Amino acid sequence: MSLKDLIRKLRPDEIHWPTVGRTLGVLALLGGLGGGAVVAFGLFNVSARAGHLPGVSWVLHTTFRNSVAFRAHAEPPETLDDAGMVALGARHYDSACRHCHAAPGAERSATVRSMNPEPPHITEAVQHWEPDEFHWIVKEGVKMSGMPHWPATRDDDVWPVVAFLTRVGEMSGDDYARLTEKPDGRYCAMCHGAEGVSGNPNIPRLDILSETYIRDTLHAYREGRRDSGIMAEAMSQVPAEAIDRLAAGLAESAPSGEQAPSDDLAQRGRALAAAGGDTEVPACRACHGPWSEPLNPAFPSLSGQYAPYLEQQLRLWRDGNRGGTEVSELMHHAARALDDDEIAALASYYAGLAPAELDDTSD
Amino acid sequence: MSAARPGLLCAALLLSACSGEQSVLAPAGRDAEVLATLFWWMLGGAVVLWLLMNGLFFYVTRIRPQALSPRAAEALIIGGGIVFPTVVLAALLSFALSEMPKQREPGENLTVRITGESWWWRVDYLPEGSDTPIASANELRLPTGQRSELKLNASEVIHSFWIPALGGKTDMIPGRETRMSLEPTVPGDYRGQCAEFCGESHALMALAGVVMTPGDFAAWLEKEAAPAAIPTSAEALRGLAVFNAEGCGGCHAVRGTEAAGTVGPDLTHLGGRVTLAAGILPMERDALIRWIRDPEALKPGARMPGYDHLSDAELSALATYLEGLE
Repeated sequence: MSLKDLIRKLRPDEIHWPTVGRTLGVLALLGGLGGGAVVAFGLFNVSARAGHLPGVSWVLHTTFRNSVAFRAHAEPPETLDDAGMVALGARHYDSACRHCHAAPGAERSATVRSMNPEPPHITEAVQHWEPDEFHWIVKEGVKMSGMPHWPATRDDDVWPVVAFLTRVGEMSGDDYARLTEKPDGRYCAMCHGAEGVSGNPNIPRLDILSETYIRDTLHAYREGRRDSGIMAEAMSQVPAEAIDRLAAGLAESAPSGEQAPSDDLAQRGRALAAAGGDTEVPACRACHGPWSEPLNPAFPSLSGQYAPYLEQQLRLWRDGNRGGTEVSELMHHAARALDDDEIAALASYYAGLAPAELDDTSD
Repeated sequence: MSAARPGLLCAALLLSACSGEQSVLAPAGRDAEVLATLFWWMLGGAVVLWLLMNGLFFYVTRIRPQALSPRAAEALIIGGGIVFPTVVLAALLSFALSEMPKQREPGENLTVRITGESWWWRVDYLPEGSDTPIASANELRLPTGQRSELKLNASEVIHSFWIPALGGKTDMIPGRETRMSLEPTVPGDYRGQCAEFCGESHALMALAGVVMTPGDFAAWLEKEAAPAAIPTSAEALRGLAVFNAEGCGGCHAVRGTEAAGTVGPDLTHLGGRVTLAAGILPMERDALIRWIRDPEALKPGARMPGYDHLSDAELSALATYLEGLE
């Protein structure tokens, strides 16, 4: 039958449009009433125990997998395989994710296993995903599954968790326990070390920082003014009134260590920090030392800080993603003209200095 | 009479813009005099021509509306349409061209390097025989009685240097040095203005032009070349401590101290300048405090960050220290 025949057979001239309209109207009304009744009278059973109708779980899970595959395309950093990245990720995981996904050598609680959908054990959950997909899932979360999104807008600090997820499949319970050990049972020390020195280039050392800076920064993390998923999680474990005491305690440890031998890169950083005639980049040392007069304790000491951490923070400053305290406007202006080479040189210079507090900084 | 009054008022208003510190028609230098002379000659000529043309129209329509004889018409067309304009324009062109070399004459004794920044002026003085520039900012001081050389440049975008009372304008182009020279004649305070749109705070990029007698200028330059005054009062010393603690030296230089930044204006003799923030504020302590607290509010897009985290006492001490840098 040709299309012309079909149209002729339908005889549109004989359709009674008012009847069609009324029929559709009544159907729409009935549909609306039915839907409204489901919402208003609780007719839909939301029981996790009852679960989904046959086939619905498959549809939802397949939609989830395909949605992630379609959207994930972040480029992993070169440092993804570094032990320091894995360790940092493990510690964040231990604080934020272990409750639902358990850990190598441990089981999920009976309560967690009664969730619907059931959060998979981590060794099972990490199968069949690529790093960019891990990154997307951890950053974005999965709605209607209980999987939360990353508690920050910045996404570079998701990568340590991804680094951990790419390794967790081959970890034993002992490996995991070693990575997430808390010295003296202290939560902060898990990442930052018993004396405020993490020994991990991705985790800043705190022994060089002033009480003022630590206090202002912890408040900034807790109140969301400084963007970091890892520290947002950490600071949500700490009550606001404990911050002063915590800052005082963390500031107590005295830095020690030797100056590293200076190479070409560090020399370039030194020249830049002293601003030899540069009309774009202010002299870093005017705020971060070495300086002959006392500096504002709200400025962090950088002396002996880890280079990868410094580089990461400088990039955040330059790109306008770093903030927090009342003096952060100064640094936004200072970092706006830095290029990647200058950032590497500056990080190398300050990382090479002997660990010291702000006013003790020297080269 | 009553109809003429508003017209007179308008003319008076217009003319009032012709005098003062930033006027082409109140010249205080040789170059501005030439330009003003040229302007008056042009204006006078234009008025004469206007009267002549209108007189002619009046003559041929009202006094003698009938046709001219072919001979008279030809004389009028050839004389008034070809010969007269050729002679007048050639004379004006010769006059204008003859004045141009003076505007391009090289300066002697003193060279000043001026760089257009966003949105302020970097001013370095290079006296004859000196290699080290004397750094200053936002103010151009020149002696009378000599032609000083100006070397112009820009850091990011095009600006244009112009102090109307002293001379013409010259564009400042990033990566290319342009030049001009000025020979001021009347000591006094004048005002310059960036004359090329250069971004959101273009209108707030002014420049103080100070013309001094040769003796005064020499004394001033000697003082400008010296290191900064050492503060003595307790308040100024507190201000110096704030200056150090807040990292001001990262961007600003105060010669004779550790502060050697070159991102912002040199502050060695800030208190001795007539204006603040490139001509937009008077050099007063209240203005200093307002500027340091929130530059963005006074000059949108300014590179200087705000120091609103400082207490009133700290800002006041800082202003005292800076005022004392004369």
